Amino acid sequence: MIVANYLTAGALFCAGLHTVLSRRNLIKIVMGLSLMEASTYLLLVSLAYRRASTAPVLLKPPHGQSPSQLAHGNVADPVLQNFCLTAIVIGVAVTAVFLTVAVRVAQHYRSLDADRMRTLRG
Amino acid sequence: MTDADVAALLPLPVVIPIAGAVAAPLLARVHRRLPLVVSILSMLGATGVLVAIAARVYSGSGHVVAHYFGNWGPINGKALGIGFAADPFGMAFALVSAALGALLLLSALSQFGDLGKHELGGFACLFQLLLAAIIGSALTADLMNLFVWFEVAALASYGLTGFFLERPIALEAAFKLIVLTSIASFAIFTSVALLYAVTGALNFGQLHDALPSHVGAATLLALGLLVTGFGTKAGLTPFHGWLPDAHTAPPGAVSALFSALMVDVGVVVLARLALQIFAPGAAPPLLDLMTALGVASALVGATLALAQDDLKRLLAWDTVSQMGILVVGVATVTPAGEAGATYHLVNHALFKALMFLCAGAVVHSTGETELSKMGGLARRRPLLTGGFTIGVLAIAGIPPLNGYASLGLIHAGIEDSRQPVVFSLVLIAQAVTVAALVRAAYLGFYRRRAREYEHCEPLHAGMTTTLVALGLGCVAFGVFPSTVIAKVCAPAAAILLHPGVYAAGVLSGTSTIPATSVSFSYGAPKDLVIAAATTVVGIGIAWWYVRVTEPAFIRGLRTLHTGSVNDYSAFLALGMVVCVAALLL
Repeated sequence: MIVANYLTAGALFCAGLHTVLSRRNLIKIVMGLSLMEASTYLLLVSLAYRRASTAPVLLKPPHGQSPSQLAHGNVADPVLQNFCLTAIVIGVAVTAVFLTVAVRVAQHYRSLDADRMRTLRG
Repeated sequence: MTDADVAALLPLPVVIPIAGAVAAPLLARVHRRLPLVVSILSMLGATGVLVAIAARVYSGSGHVVAHYFGNWGPINGKALGIGFAADPFGMAFALVSAALGALLLLSALSQFGDLGKHELGGFACLFQLLLAAIIGSALTADLMNLFVWFEVAALASYGLTGFFLERPIALEAAFKLIVLTSIASFAIFTSVALLYAVTGALNFGQLHDALPSHVGAATLLALGLLVTGFGTKAGLTPFHGWLPDAHTAPPGAVSALFSALMVDVGVVVLARLALQIFAPGAAPPLLDLMTALGVASALVGATLALAQDDLKRLLAWDTVSQMGILVVGVATVTPAGEAGATYHLVNHALFKALMFLCAGAVVHSTGETELSKMGGLARRRPLLTGGFTIGVLAIAGIPPLNGYASLGLIHAGIEDSRQPVVFSLVLIAQAVTVAALVRAAYLGFYRRRAREYEHCEPLHAGMTTTLVALGLGCVAFGVFPSTVIAKVCAPAAAILLHPGVYAAGVLSGTSTIPATSVSFSYGAPKDLVIAAATTVVGIGIAWWYVRVTEPAFIRGLRTLHTGSVNDYSAFLALGMVVCVAALLL
């Protein structure tokens, strides 16, 4: 529970959303989506945090603590950190697909302006 | 077989298509026909396994069977592992997906038989991945796993939309689809993390048990984001910007897969969310919100379908409308409404796949996509005309076709839940839907056309087979409604209305559903009058619409859909704010 981090994550999400809503350059839209994605990483890692906790690695506990002490709640939540890894992996895949489309758009239209791709409408 | 044996089969319907998806591009190097053979065999295999599981799930008054991967089962009601659970509701959708998937693959790969090896392999791979993700999201009992299937489906759909990259509109459609689906996936992902952080649970059964004591701002925010995310997948208004474009650009079989199965994932998940995970008491405004979204989608989709000139785009708008009707049916929380929604889910898959394949076959055969340039197909292409007409009659709810029974049940459900305004709006949407489709059938197929078409390619055997099979399916599901309702829809309605039984089944591995009867009298005067009245009014609207210039309110609605990805994202963001606000305030 780190309130400042939550607020930052919310602000990042809004900044990304603002980029997606207001920019016409495809690359900037991709960047906006990446920013929104990054905000979810921050949120997740912050949700996993517990006061005075250590990393969820039980093999070599810090000095003066046994693995069982750690397992009883004094570690950051590993499940949420795992989510974060999953999100990063998926994010890479989606960004790759995205940039592929952007490259093909640039080849076809000789432009990256989203406003020129409005054949399908209404 | 015991329940545990049956449950152990549960991963296979997903594993087989994924294995097929891996094998298809590799085997394409050996022979170009092999991807076709492998992918159809893998989908038939998945169907076979699902039938074996379904025999247990639908026996008696219905059962839930659950399986945990690696046998990481729940201990003291707390699940660490990822579980799959087959309940009558998800099972109906999974079965239709696997069987229809095999048919669509047959049609698609026979139509594109002259493509290169690499293209055929890649196409079969993406198609099966999407089907695996659809089946997976119908069977999963874990929120994080559901998100993974959502992403797999999303990635495969990006690939399929943009598969024929030489067409500029395919690029455009793929781009809009990626932007909107990505925003939806962030919403879902954030809400999964929030729900886990609040309740410590990801398993559906565990969430159902934990949520009532944790309802607060964070859970409601998560719920609003989930509705946004899966509403985008289902193409509900105002999240629907991607849907018409993504259905217009790709070939008929891909549009059929999207419309008949992929968007339904959104509805299936919304139903699970509203009824099985959040029991109706936990977040009361949720059902009203879903009804509102559904009615808006039904009206907007039907109205814009009426105004389209591109046949596939028209069908895509009609998909928006049908998804709205389904969500309204789910949100009634009555046995008739739930049974009707389940039934309509199956029927919609059949008739919409049939109509999209007809539209795709028209493009294949004549090269025309616009209704204004078509016409005269009734004489030149009787099979396609017959198929399309069956689809129109099914959506219009004309007995003995399948739409009659499912729409009748949904209407009964809305009446039972005492929502006269919603009922009248749904009937208006139904009349406009009939109008849009009658207009399409008249302009495209039954209108006289003096000139011959420049091209008139014959259809491939695989395409014809699929059309005939789907047409027969529409008739079969309409002729034997009492069997379908008693054996499949009533247990599905029961499990949606008894979330505790579902939760117990997921956590303990098996549970028996209490018997619920759904009464439906075929040929009740009221249903017949509604079907006849909406059809007559619909034909009237169609007759009027082909004679007038576009009315101002329809032109206004069309100008709202500017085709700009920024605007569509803005609608989505606005919808997200509205959903969250409606739940929190």
